[in-house]
Amino acid sequence: MTASHGVTSAVGARAATGRADEALIRVEDLWHTYMAGTPFAQAALRGVTMYVCPGEVVGVIGHTGSGKSTLIQYLNGLLRPSRGRVVVAGYEVGRSNSGIEAVRRLVGVAFQDPEDQVFEPLVGDDVAYGPRQLGLAVDELRARVRWAMEAVGLPFDAFKDRYTYTLSGGELRRTALAGVLAMRPRVLVLDEPTAGLDPVTRSDVRERLLTLCRRDGLTLVLVSHDMDEIAGLADRVYVLHAGAVVASGPPREVFARPDALAPYGLLPPYPTQVCMRLRARGIPVRGDALTIEEAGAAIAAALRATR
Amino acid sequence: MNEFELLRNITIGQYLPADSYLHRLDPRAKILAAILVIAAVTFTPSLVGNACLLAAALALVRVGRIPLAYALRGLVPAVPLLVLLAVMQLLFFGRNYDPTSSVVFQWRWLAVTIVVTAAVLKLVVVSAARFIELLLVTSVFTLSTKTTELTLGIESLLRPFRRLRVPAHELALVVTIAVRFVPTLALEAERLMKAQASRGGRFGGGRWHFVTRVRQLLPILVPLVTYALRRGEELIVAMEARAYTGGTGRTAYTVLASGPGDWLAVCIAAAFLAAMLLAPFPA
Amino acid sequence: MQDAGRGALSIRGIVISAVLAAVAILLGATRVGFIPTPTGIAATIMHVPAIIGGVLEGPVVGAIIGTIFGVYSFFYATVPMFKDPIVAIAPRIFIGIFAAWTYWSLRRMSELWAIVLAAIVGTATNTVLVLGFGVARHYLPAKVAWVVGITHGIPEVVVAVILSVAVLLPWKRAHRGQARARV
Repeated sequence: MTASHGVTSAVGARAATGRADEALIRVEDLWHTYMAGTPFAQAALRGVTMYVCPGEVVGVIGHTGSGKSTLIQYLNGLLRPSRGRVVVAGYEVGRSNSGIEAVRRLVGVAFQDPEDQVFEPLVGDDVAYGPRQLGLAVDELRARVRWAMEAVGLPFDAFKDRYTYTLSGGELRRTALAGVLAMRPRVLVLDEPTAGLDPVTRSDVRERLLTLCRRDGLTLVLVSHDMDEIAGLADRVYVLHAGAVVASGPPREVFARPDALAPYGLLPPYPTQVCMRLRARGIPVRGDALTIEEAGAAIAAALRATR
Repeated sequence: MNEFELLRNITIGQYLPADSYLHRLDPRAKILAAILVIAAVTFTPSLVGNACLLAAALALVRVGRIPLAYALRGLVPAVPLLVLLAVMQLLFFGRNYDPTSSVVFQWRWLAVTIVVTAAVLKLVVVSAARFIELLLVTSVFTLSTKTTELTLGIESLLRPFRRLRVPAHELALVVTIAVRFVPTLALEAERLMKAQASRGGRFGGGRWHFVTRVRQLLPILVPLVTYALRRGEELIVAMEARAYTGGTGRTAYTVLASGPGDWLAVCIAAAFLAAMLLAPFPA
Repeated sequence: MQDAGRGALSIRGIVISAVLAAVAILLGATRVGFIPTPTGIAATIMHVPAIIGGVLEGPVVGAIIGTIFGVYSFFYATVPMFKDPIVAIAPRIFIGIFAAWTYWSLRRMSELWAIVLAAIVGTATNTVLVLGFGVARHYLPAKVAWVVGITHGIPEVVVAVILSVAVLLPWKRAHRGQARARV
């Protein structure tokens, strides 16, 4: 699709990250106020500008209350801009309803709480909800459901007849993900995709998402409060604070200047912090490590050099 | 611009703060008085009686220090319905409704005959007046009463009926939990609708697409009711875990105290009801 | 169910009444409970929580839900016929009671049919009593009531049956049943 499509490792530096002019999603100077016009008015977004290119992994980082969840709802037209613009694949999201379904089909959103998304009693029926709305034939429907369930690690035959309320937290989240994937979106927006999962499930889900991204050219938007989670995965990150983008760019650049993030109560990922502290103590470690693996390699290299 | 924000449309406990006799009234007295006044409106068929009631309802709005336009908000959307009601009564009731009444107007065209009698005319006026009176009385009540006062009042009023095995405290608790639960449920409904819209779900559609609308609604309603029941089960466990044992021997944080001013309201309302029921109004 | 013979309400009875009454209020307040029909008069499903409550917890709970729903709809009604306590409140009390009795007398034969008939009886109670009191209070001529009863009563029954079955069967089977996905 684009230069960034064939990326195989999130760790290795990318030759080309997305450019604004080829963006699949473009958000321009977006403002949002809850309960506008009442004494309870509360600004959630204040002039957010961002873009997402095909095949990219984009991270959105921010604390609770930073406007992340509001922003997500604009990406697939659940909210319509009253100030600012949202353009998805050339279609400008506006007041009109025409074309909004195409936007929602193009951009799949998995919300934070899987409980709100999984509503059918049986897993198979729930995953089939989206494609069924598209009016697919039974064979194709079944094939899609099977593909989506297998993609998130839920064996079709073993899980399709399971009651959703008997699922574990991890299985429920996978079901919610499969339900969105079954729509075959080009962009997948994930709100805290691995929150509340155990470490094994977390890395499994993360691996599967990356596979989808590499193999099927899926574009990912990861939204999280957890720097460590996003740092190793994203090509570019946006740091959101109080409804405004306060920093953006490749994670290595953004986290290279911890002083710029400190005022917003945000710290670089732990591996980056460790390397920076070592440097501060005069040990010649590369300061731009983002993951534990990178930090390990950097420290090993530094040890070899000093020896 | 938001097609999913349900909370905004909910009008429950639309308390309008003000310092008035009605706002200060003991909720028990206010509930009793409201019931008496509503009964008076409901059972008064005469024109003169309804004129008195309309005046009384307007006086209540004044005493409650509620802007008249605010109390009558519900009237504007109801005007077409009132017209429809009047047209229906004029067209269909005719001589069947009180055959002894004199004919005021008669119109015949081919096989169609429309007869309007004096009794039907009176019915039209009384129906419309009754609607406006009840609209005013219920608006004044909801605008001047907090939901907490309401549940306290209900519990207190039902207490004497405990001897008849009416669970006063429990019934008040039902109302309290229900009122508290509505916003939670609205948020859940909003989340469900958004999650489904994200997965190609569609809502709305015109009145001609009844079946389609029902099919769109079921994936919202079924999980919503199930969610309510599931939350209910959790609440049951939580209440049992805290050894909730019902009303006997429970103390309350707020204790209602009523003075002579409160019971005056009940007396006036009772006198009004008696007058409406017993007075020999000519029409 | 255990409360029907006693005076007191159990914690379960209190909570289930409350959450289902809240559903009824929400359906009324957000207009979600009104389904527009070609005749211009909306079909309503706000009585379904009373049916569900009656089936799950018996007539007392059903009556409480119906009463709360009735009082709420009376206070916030903007339709002349429903701004009359006799039309708005009285019929609603009986929805859950009749639904519960129907369910109780039939459940030994078939869970499914007991729920279906409870929904039919509950809905019919609402339709017949509301229209009956509407005629008695001269809001409607009897002929119009018959027409409305048929054009709206039937779709309301169908929707109420589907909704009650869809909620109650999985809920009742929650810890034992077997089912298969449609794919």
